[in-house]
Amino acid sequence: MAETLAILMVVAVIAALMAGYPVALTLAGVSLAFAFIGDLTGVMSFAILGALPQRIFGVMTNGTLLAIPMFIFMGVMLERSRVAEDLLENMGRLFGKLRGGLAFSVVIVGTLLAAAKGVVGATTVTMGLIVLPAMLRHGYDKRLAAGTVAATATLAQIFPPATVLILLGDQLSNAYQSAQLSQGKFAPDALNVSDLFAGALLPAFSLVALYLVYVGAVAWLWPKAAPALRRDPKGPRGAKFARKLAESLVAPLVLILAVLGSILGGIATPTEAASIGAVGAILLAARKTAIAPLLRPVADKTAQITAMIFVILIGATFFSLVFRALGGDLMVERALTNLPGGTTGAILTVMLAMFLLGFVMDAFEIIFVVVPIVGAALLKMPGVDPVWLGILMAMNLQTSYMHPPLGPTLFFLRGVAPKAIKTSDIYWGVIPFVAIQIVALIVLWFVPALATWLPHALYR
Amino acid sequence: MAKGSLETVADRIDRLNAAIGRGAAWLALVIVVLQFALVVARYVFSLGSIWLSETVIYAHAALFLLAAAWTLQLGGHVRVDIFYADAKPRTKAWIDLIGALVLLFPVMLTLLWLSWPYAARSWAVLERSQEASGLPLVFVLKTLIPVFAVLMALQGMAQAARAVLVLRKRRRG
Repeated sequence: MAETLAILMVVAVIAALMAGYPVALTLAGVSLAFAFIGDLTGVMSFAILGALPQRIFGVMTNGTLLAIPMFIFMGVMLERSRVAEDLLENMGRLFGKLRGGLAFSVVIVGTLLAAAKGVVGATTVTMGLIVLPAMLRHGYDKRLAAGTVAATATLAQIFPPATVLILLGDQLSNAYQSAQLSQGKFAPDALNVSDLFAGALLPAFSLVALYLVYVGAVAWLWPKAAPALRRDPKGPRGAKFARKLAESLVAPLVLILAVLGSILGGIATPTEAASIGAVGAILLAARKTAIAPLLRPVADKTAQITAMIFVILIGATFFSLVFRALGGDLMVERALTNLPGGTTGAILTVMLAMFLLGFVMDAFEIIFVVVPIVGAALLKMPGVDPVWLGILMAMNLQTSYMHPPLGPTLFFLRGVAPKAIKTSDIYWGVIPFVAIQIVALIVLWFVPALATWLPHALYR
Repeated sequence: MAKGSLETVADRIDRLNAAIGRGAAWLALVIVVLQFALVVARYVFSLGSIWLSETVIYAHAALFLLAAAWTLQLGGHVRVDIFYADAKPRTKAWIDLIGALVLLFPVMLTLLWLSWPYAARSWAVLERSQEASGLPLVFVLKTLIPVFAVLMALQGMAQAARAVLVLRKRRRG
């Protein structure tokens, strides 16, 4: 009876979400209704919800999650200060004379932006507004242009210090603790957000390399799709150009290296590094424009995005408390351990579920809902490394983010892309990149060292 | 008059939550600056301050709890918009009205009901940080939870009121 209710609750949540009321409140409201039903039918006690204030207080005082508003601040500040525009323009000039050169620079700059901004929406909008018209103007194939922009912007989901990695790290570390405790290990190993950052680095760079190879192959096989730029007679040349390029490139690069380097070098916690990044972004912006008028809109936007994320976390807390009270977590664990194919079958099932959920839900929601349910069960299985599992999940969510027809990146891009680009161009253009993602996921599956080697080398 | 009353209530709630939210938004800058000061103090001068670290934590909690209702007002909470995005204004109004009544109100009232005694217990002993040199204001921090519930419930009222206005107008016109 209780477990039937747990299943019904999941179905009801998904159905209710489709109506389009804010996700956080839908999660909490439906869960609350099921807590009532459970209490009335005597399968659970409503009193369990009494744990909510303490849970919320735990979120409020969590030092790791404190990094989130600061990384968001950094991204929004870079967005508003138009550091990105300069970078794109100058890189385009640098590689422009090569066939496919513009696409190369888009991938490289997009990677830098994704790392600095950490929010897919912001990266997609910037790139869609600036890069896409430029690529079309220079005669690039529409599909290639749209696909390159969408895929590169989505890197913000996996490139450290991605918000997704912080949230995944937080949720997985709870799951990892309880998995070890239940196995009688009372001095459990910890999983830090830094481990996930380090683990994401090589897979993220592999993706960038594969994107570059793909763009290069298209330019070589099909020159018309990715022509070289005509020389711009009015543009700066020689030493003057070199200086402009260096200026636009060095500043954001230093910022990213300072943030990532201090985390990966074990010098600073992600929270500390986030404040360095945010102050760095303020300084970069101040060099270009008056900073005072920027502070109000940047603070506002940061507050809204932060509130959005944390309210989902609060809503998901309702859900996981009730789901657990109904015995849902034990049911999921039993189902996962009884799957044919053992560990492989269990992880594949979870991956597939997350991928499908990615069509309708945001990465944040999936992390808050799915990881508390399946995390401990998966991490109890022999040979499952928490970093590897985390990166698999992150890359999986990233792929579903750009998968037609419902990937959020595609919607963001549709919103800002020139009229000349049809929605079908975006879909077709992104498919090769989705294929690349799937190849990368398969490689990561068979070569866990891709994710686990760097954190072990750095921290163990 | 019946014409203006719903709108007046919604406007007042909107103004209240916008003022609180925009005020809380400055905490984003406060967090960045104080956390950076902590980093400098720690790495350059080898100094730490539990008092200051806790201030950053408090600011963060206040930031998202106090800005949440304002974010709702601005439509900043994510929706699954497969259907919602293309829905008619009338359909959207129905979804918002039912959502506010069936989802938002019960959740926020339950949270208020649960967190009130939670905060009250903390007030009763004027609970302070577990660290000796920490902030003696844990009861204030815990009070933010019922405050969040109240602000969200108020914003839900404004949302419902505006939905009713949309539904009424259409029927007349």
